[in-house]
Amino acid sequence: MLRTVAIGQYVVGNSLLHRLDPRSKILAVLFLMVTLFVAKGWLAYLVLAGLVVLAYLLAGISPRYMWRALRPVLFILFFTVTINLLWTRGEVVWRFWRLAVTREGLHMAATMSTRLILLVTSAALLTLTTSPIALTDGLEHLLAPGKRIGIPSHELALMLTIALRFIPTLVDEADKIMKAQMARGADFAHGGLVQRARSLLPLLVPLFVSSFRRADELATAMEARCYRGGEGRTRLRELRYSVLDAAAGVVLAAVCGSVLWMRFGGPRG
Amino acid sequence: MTRRVAGAGLGGRVRDMARISLFAALTAVGALIRLPLPPVPFTMQTLFVLLAGLLLGGKLGAASQLLYIAIGLAGVPVFAGGGGPQYVLTPGFGYLIGFAAAAYVAGRLAWRNPGTACPLRGLFVASLAGTATCYAIGAPYLWAVLRWIGGIPIPASQVLVRGLLVFVPWDLAKAGLAAWLAWEIDRRVRWAGAR
Repeated sequence: MLRTVAIGQYVVGNSLLHRLDPRSKILAVLFLMVTLFVAKGWLAYLVLAGLVVLAYLLAGISPRYMWRALRPVLFILFFTVTINLLWTRGEVVWRFWRLAVTREGLHMAATMSTRLILLVTSAALLTLTTSPIALTDGLEHLLAPGKRIGIPSHELALMLTIALRFIPTLVDEADKIMKAQMARGADFAHGGLVQRARSLLPLLVPLFVSSFRRADELATAMEARCYRGGEGRTRLRELRYSVLDAAAGVVLAAVCGSVLWMRFGGPRG
Repeated sequence: MTRRVAGAGLGGRVRDMARISLFAALTAVGALIRLPLPPVPFTMQTLFVLLAGLLLGGKLGAASQLLYIAIGLAGVPVFAGGGGPQYVLTPGFGYLIGFAAAAYVAGRLAWRNPGTACPLRGLFVASLAGTATCYAIGAPYLWAVLRWIGGIPIPASQVLVRGLLVFVPWDLAKAGLAAWLAWEIDRRVRWAGAR
């Protein structure tokens, strides 16, 4: 489990999508999601679905991950389909007892669920092809202009990295404390509600005290090494846009541009 | 809670950053550890949210929760059931945003009087206010996601019952537990000289 925390959903690989700059991937996903929200009509969704499938193929990510990404929204997806199917008024195409499926209902259910599936799978693509650390790097750069209006981009990125680093440590620690207290006779699994609430104390108090201590030790260590904020800091891996990013940008602009044209500029229908 | 002596300049700032990070990590851990407490599978997540506010104060507590959300959105499986940017589209994401607001409100109320320890009763009231804030954001978000993303127009009264009222008794108990734990932890943290 410690390993899954460190890399998150990231699927290690070296595909075209993996090699894109994290900044371009974040911007691309945002742009794609906005386009999905305003898109209208069958052709538009077909084109966008084609783009998402193509992206998964290029990334070399198996459909299993697509399914896994959809799991948290399955519930809402199910209700979207059933409710729109059965409760939309219009021309009845199929009737069973008191339930009537209408042409409008079919249309609504299909568009709503297609949109949701595309939104979710395209968003998941970002974290499937980008490690949390690379994402943090990209976010720090993208938010850097916000410094003037008080967005602490560097501090944010640093805190994200520290927190990621400490999650496995604290999981280990909680586990160790639990075992130590059980060895001393603590019982986490039995007794009434009050009894069990009480049993949290010997677990949480050491955990929080040691977290405070770790935080203060870390701060001291950073100061001892002359940490002075983001000003003038260098980094091991510099981010650089490449030809690949430009190519991806052109493809995305072409597809989304045509979808937006269908929605706002083109002939109605 | 007692106000810590403000560190001068960058010094206090670095320590604040470290504490925010550690509490974000703690919240993630709280969502990961499951204690065998039937009938409801009990994760300590909401408990940790309130504790972050009560122990760190409003601003730092809220920052730690926002950081926790950011970690989850970056694809690290720290939410109940996973992680990734697609979680923004789930009906329950509003409660996660509510966590940050809850920590802020609870922290502000608990740290009202600088220099003096907040009494247990004050901590309980702060926890309750925090919990209420969480729902004030979570329930409308639930409604909005169902309405505009799911295309399911359900009446607001239904959301109120299903997304809020059924949790009330359980949350009263949790707020009490949070207040009591914060009281005990704070006492011992000060005793251990960690602040």
